[in-house]
Amino acid sequence: MSAGETLAVLGGGAEAQPSGARIRRAAVGLLVPLAALVIWAASAQYGWLPIQILPEPLVVWDSLVQLWSSGELLDHARVSLLRVVYGFSAGAAAGLALGLAMGLSETVEDYVRPLFTALAQVPTLASIPLLMLPLGIDEALKVVIIAKAAFVPMTLNAFAGVRGVPAQLVEVAQAFRFTRLQLLRRVILPGAVAPIFTGVRYGLTKSWTALVAVELLASSEGLGYLLVWGRQMFWLDVVIVAMIAIGVVGFLMDKTLALAETRLQRWRVTAV
Amino acid sequence: MDARGGTAAAHLEVTDVGKRFAVNGEAFAALDHVALGVAKGGFVTIVGASGCGKSTLLRLIAGLDRPTSGALRLGGVPIDGPSLDRGIVFQEPRLFPWLTVAGNVMLGLENAQMPKSAKRAAVAKHLALVGLTAFADAYPHQLSGGMAQRAAIARGLVNRPAVLLLDEPFGALDALTRTRLQGELQAIWAQEKITTVFVTHDVDEAVYLGDRIVVMAPRPGRIAKVFENARPRPRERTDAALVHLRNAVLRELEATLGAEAPEPTRAGPQAAARPQRPAALRLPGAAGA
Repeated sequence: MSAGETLAVLGGGAEAQPSGARIRRAAVGLLVPLAALVIWAASAQYGWLPIQILPEPLVVWDSLVQLWSSGELLDHARVSLLRVVYGFSAGAAAGLALGLAMGLSETVEDYVRPLFTALAQVPTLASIPLLMLPLGIDEALKVVIIAKAAFVPMTLNAFAGVRGVPAQLVEVAQAFRFTRLQLLRRVILPGAVAPIFTGVRYGLTKSWTALVAVELLASSEGLGYLLVWGRQMFWLDVVIVAMIAIGVVGFLMDKTLALAETRLQRWRVTAV
Repeated sequence: MDARGGTAAAHLEVTDVGKRFAVNGEAFAALDHVALGVAKGGFVTIVGASGCGKSTLLRLIAGLDRPTSGALRLGGVPIDGPSLDRGIVFQEPRLFPWLTVAGNVMLGLENAQMPKSAKRAAVAKHLALVGLTAFADAYPHQLSGGMAQRAAIARGLVNRPAVLLLDEPFGALDALTRTRLQGELQAIWAQEKITTVFVTHDVDEAVYLGDRIVVMAPRPGRIAKVFENARPRPRERTDAALVHLRNAVLRELEATLGAEAPEPTRAGPQAAARPQRPAALRLPGAAGA
C-alpha cells in the first residue's frame, strides 16, 4: 500500500457517506489513524527510521495475515480474554458489592473508605512484587492483578451512583412506604445504573491494560507474551501486530458494553 | 376514636404544632403553635410568604417530618410517618426517569394490597382522570412540565388516599398551564370529593381553589388568619366576590410581611424550582424548606 493509495482511501472515507451524521462522525474518527498510517508508510519509504526499528506497514500486514491464518494470534487472544473474563468478573463483582455497601451504609463507609482510598492510589502494577511471593507468577497472580484493576473503578462508581440518586426520589419512595428492599430494587439500583455502567466500562479497560502488563512480566502465552517475545526476537512486526490486536480487542469490548448500555437505558434522552 | 371534644367535626386535626430546626447551631422556629382543622372533603389552601413554614406544615401532615411539639391526627389516628392514606404531590413532578408514565403511577400502588389486574385498572383510571391515557407508555423526558405534573397528581391519587397534599404543585409552570391545571384540579376534586390541602404562594390560586384560605406569617411560622370561601364551583376568576376576597387575603398577607422588605404581591420569590439535592441516603429525608 503506497502513500498515494492511502490518501485516496482517506479522501473517499471523508465524503463517501453524505447520508447519516453517525456514519460521518465514525468516518471522521478514522482520519487520525489513517494519517498516522500515511506517516508510517512515508517513514518506511524514505528511511526516517531504520526498518529494524519501524518495519514497513506491508511487512506488518504480512505478519498479521500469517499469525492469523496459523491460528496463533487467536490462541493468544483467547488466553488473554479468558484471563480478563475471570479477573474482571471477580474484581467487578467485588467492587460492585463494596461500592453498594459503602453507598448504602455510612458505617461501612466509615470503616472501609480510608483504606480503600489509600489502596486505590497504589498503581495496580506496584502490588505485583508483593503478590508474587504468596501467589507465584502463574494464573493466580494474573487473575488477582486483573481483578484489582477492575475493583477500584467499579467500587468508586457504584458508590457514587448510589449517593447520586436524588433525595427527592428517595422521599417519594418513603411517602409510599417502600421497604428497604423495595427502595434498593425500585429506586437505588435503577438510579445508579448509569454510573455503575461507567464503572464496568472503565474497569474493563483497566483490566485489559493490567492484563497485558502482567503478561509482559511472566507468561508463556497471551497477547502480552506475544509482544515480549517479538521484542526479544527483535521482530518488531510481531510487536506491532500484538499491539494492534490488543487495541482492537479492547476497542471491541468497550463498544459492546456501550451498546449494552444504550439498550439498558432506553429511557435516557437519545442524542439527536 | 369517635367522639373527640371540640374537634369532632375535623377530619384532619393539627393541634398546637411546633417545629424547630437547628440553623447554624441556633434554634429556628419554623412553626409555632399552629392549630388547624380540615373537614372531610374540604379544600384548604395555605398561602404565605417564603419562610412562613407552609411547606413544613404540609410535610408534617404527610408524615415526612415529625413535629417538635403538638400532635397531628387523621380521622382521630395520630400521624406518625407516611401512609398510603395521604397522597402527596411535590413542586417538582419527581417522576422516576427510568419508568414510563404508567410505571410511575404504578409506583404508588407498590404496597397496596390488591391483585395485579386491579392495580393496572386503577392506573388506567387515574391516567384517564388527568388526561394522560395516550401517554401511558411515554417516558418522563418526553413530557412537558404540565403533563409531568399531571402524572404526579395521578400518582398521588392512585391509592385513593383520604387526603391529598399538594406542595406548590403548579409553582414552576408557566401561567397558561398553571391556570389550566388549576381548573382540572378543581374538577378532579369536585368529582372525587377528596380532602385536599394545597400549599401555594400565589394568592389568586389560593382563593380560586380553596373553600378555606389559611394565611400564614413568618418568624415564627404561624397562622395569621383563616378566610372562608363559600363561592360555588365551578368558579369564575372574574367573579366580583372572588376578587373582593382576593384583595382581603392579599392585604392580610402584606400585613404579615410587616417591617420586612416589600415583595412583589403576585408570584412569590421562591417560584423557581429548587435545585436537586444529591444527598446521603438516609431514610428520614433531608429537612425541607
